[in-house]
Amino acid sequence: MDRRNFMKQVLLWSAGISSTIPNFRIGPELLAAEKKSPVVSHAKDKNYYALVARVLEPLGGINKFVTTGDRVVIKPNMAWDRSPDQAANTHPLVVKALVEQSLEAGAKTVMVFDRTCNEERRCYVNSGIQQTLESIKDKRLKFYHPDSRKFVPVNIERGKAVNRLEIYRDALEADTYINVPVAKHHGLSKLTLGLKNSMGVLGGNRGSMHHNLGQKLADLATVIRPKLTVVDATRILLRNGPQGGNLDDVKILDTLIASADAVACDAFATTLFNMEPDEIASTVAAYNMGLGEMRLDRMKIIQA
Amino acid sequence: MKKKWLKLRHGRRVSQVLCFVLFLFLFVKTDYSGSNELPYAVNILFRIDPFLALSASLATRTLLAIMWPSLVFIGLTFILGRFFCGWICPMGSLLDSFHRFAPHAGEGRVSSLHTLKYYLLVFMLVAAFFGLPAAGYIDPFSILVRGLALSLYPALNVLATSFFTFTYQEMPGWINTLTEPVYAILKASILPFRQNHYELAFFSLFILAAIFLMERLQRRFFCRNLCPVGAVYAFTSRFSLLRGKGGTKCGKCRNCMDICRMGAIDEERNISPLDCNLCMDCVDLCPGSKISFSFTQKGVEQPAFALSRRTFLSSLAVGAALPFFLDTRTMAKRPDPYLVRPPGALPEDEFLGRCVRCGECMKVCIGNALQPAFLSAGLAGMFSPRLQARTGYCEFNCTLCGQVCPTGALQELTLARKHTAKIGNVFFDKNRCLPYAKGIPCIVCEEHCPTPDKAIQFREAQVLNSMGEKVAVKQPYVIDERCIGCGICETKCPLPGNSAVRLTSAGEHRDPRNALPTQSLPY
Repeated sequence: MDRRNFMKQVLLWSAGISSTIPNFRIGPELLAAEKKSPVVSHAKDKNYYALVARVLEPLGGINKFVTTGDRVVIKPNMAWDRSPDQAANTHPLVVKALVEQSLEAGAKTVMVFDRTCNEERRCYVNSGIQQTLESIKDKRLKFYHPDSRKFVPVNIERGKAVNRLEIYRDALEADTYINVPVAKHHGLSKLTLGLKNSMGVLGGNRGSMHHNLGQKLADLATVIRPKLTVVDATRILLRNGPQGGNLDDVKILDTLIASADAVACDAFATTLFNMEPDEIASTVAAYNMGLGEMRLDRMKIIQA
Repeated sequence: MKKKWLKLRHGRRVSQVLCFVLFLFLFVKTDYSGSNELPYAVNILFRIDPFLALSASLATRTLLAIMWPSLVFIGLTFILGRFFCGWICPMGSLLDSFHRFAPHAGEGRVSSLHTLKYYLLVFMLVAAFFGLPAAGYIDPFSILVRGLALSLYPALNVLATSFFTFTYQEMPGWINTLTEPVYAILKASILPFRQNHYELAFFSLFILAAIFLMERLQRRFFCRNLCPVGAVYAFTSRFSLLRGKGGTKCGKCRNCMDICRMGAIDEERNISPLDCNLCMDCVDLCPGSKISFSFTQKGVEQPAFALSRRTFLSSLAVGAALPFFLDTRTMAKRPDPYLVRPPGALPEDEFLGRCVRCGECMKVCIGNALQPAFLSAGLAGMFSPRLQARTGYCEFNCTLCGQVCPTGALQELTLARKHTAKIGNVFFDKNRCLPYAKGIPCIVCEEHCPTPDKAIQFREAQVLNSMGEKVAVKQPYVIDERCIGCGICETKCPLPGNSAVRLTSAGEHRDPRNALPTQSLPY
């Protein structure tokens, strides 16, 4: 290989590689669209499995969000090596119901994963979600551990506090992204809800998100935009969050909240803790960026 | 008659392969498998090792009940001789299979160094008794498992991951439809769940590689001349019932002497049970079919150890004297504060006495937190496990290391005891910790602190940030009584380089001299 050829190869290869870094952008016309007051649905029942269908009803049911051939990501919180009754992870039955309904709605694949904080396998098993999902015998369900090769650097065009994040590819490429956080206490952000749950698709050093967490979560919310958020408040963790461990800190509410508006969902969930939406920095930051509604009086709140 | 022995020789190979496969299977299974209890006795190789049993028992001056399986093999050796070395030992099997790649090795002929292993054994056992436990340095299984766990196995994963990352990122889609399923199968079967990283990875590999390089000097050099397990078995096979009998007046061919991998056959074609590992090659390959093994002792020369009294006494004396120098080191007065032992570890002296440096706990540790110590526990403590919290942390609900420890150096803890077993305490460096030093909000440490009532708490404080603005931040602090020293805060601290919160052994329950200052009694 001569020098000229070598240089040519180097240039071509580097051009090729750099052009494969994806660039996700949300156009201003989309953001400027007329905002209707978002519907926030909530429902209460002991049967968590049936509760999912009920809370989705006012929003038009799962078929409003999942259509035939969709690649669906269902992102629960299963970050901690804790059992379901300790309220640190999303309840397995809630996840199961959403998976089954998405499959029935004709999804091509349903992917369920989380980048955990404790050891991955322990979290999947002890959250109860692994065993629960194993009972679903459908090849379209993919329940897996994130693959380190598949985190891709993404430019956060509208970011105010962070402009580049490593995000899991399947989350970016999904047709329908359903966020299923569990509502619980958090030392730094006071509460962890939907926006905080999106951190489970991040690669790299996630700890740095904590330096100005509210704004950074809002920045992340500009690229991770769930079509549907279902907040699991069947049990909520009042203290020692986000992992808890003490059943005295858990309060049983038997409640689910759902909305297509991620910010509205978080804002309404805040009231379960007798707090105001503006106490949560990420809710305020996302609202200020036009990502959703946080004023309770501008929402259509429906009890299903 | 010949046909029968021919079968036995092949039987030996089958046994070697099966035992090695079993060894590898248990090695791969030394991992979390969906439940906190391990379903297999993954440490069995170390529990059948009589040398480690002797050394650990002498060092702690107690009979270690957990090592009872070693008695089974001692008993069998009284009957069959050193069959373990020829038929079972995974290191021996590896060396045998490596033989064809080291073709220049001299073979046969009695080794001039073959008594070295006895002196080594005596030295090791006497030193262990007087307080210098170094069995793990030379034990073949410790060397093998350490080499695999700390170096070869992680390297295999690096190799696989880099290859499949290359195909995933650079290759067209149709190649990926072929390679990705292969990767998935490998990940589900033999590859480790995650990429682990270890201190002393190269060093462990070199020690293992050295044993293989020595094959170039002599076939089974390690087994003949150094192996302390083989030496223990040699002492018992002195009395073994099964003996090989060579042809004394069989001519000049000396084929058996040349092919003997252990150098067990002398000029008079006597087969020494001290060295013979019953590989059965000589029986099968003797042109006159003059060699046989039987339980009749008639006409069989009784073997001699041929030890020199002077060397024997010297190794005894050195073994007895050396341990007394241990207390001259600074660490006898001031142990390394960053030497944090795994939960369930016995007090340091007893811990080192029992620890056989097998690497099982480091292999099984799901947090990649346990690392082999280099010099922090002294030369004698090399390869003993320490928790290095910046690399990984001790998982709150996990008790695997205590389950795999073959000698009980790490006691098996119930989950309830593990949750309160304090192995150390963390300290904040306020000069680096962001809310203190820079006025930047953080408290990732508090988020991850696993005790149900968090050991890391925070206070709201008004501070000046680097722009001179007054900001409100949450500043973390530790409640010593709650901290168990798992180190997750140090692992997860998002600062580059050193963590702003560091784990030390202060306050560990196993050493009352290491107690933290208190103002009142804790109860």
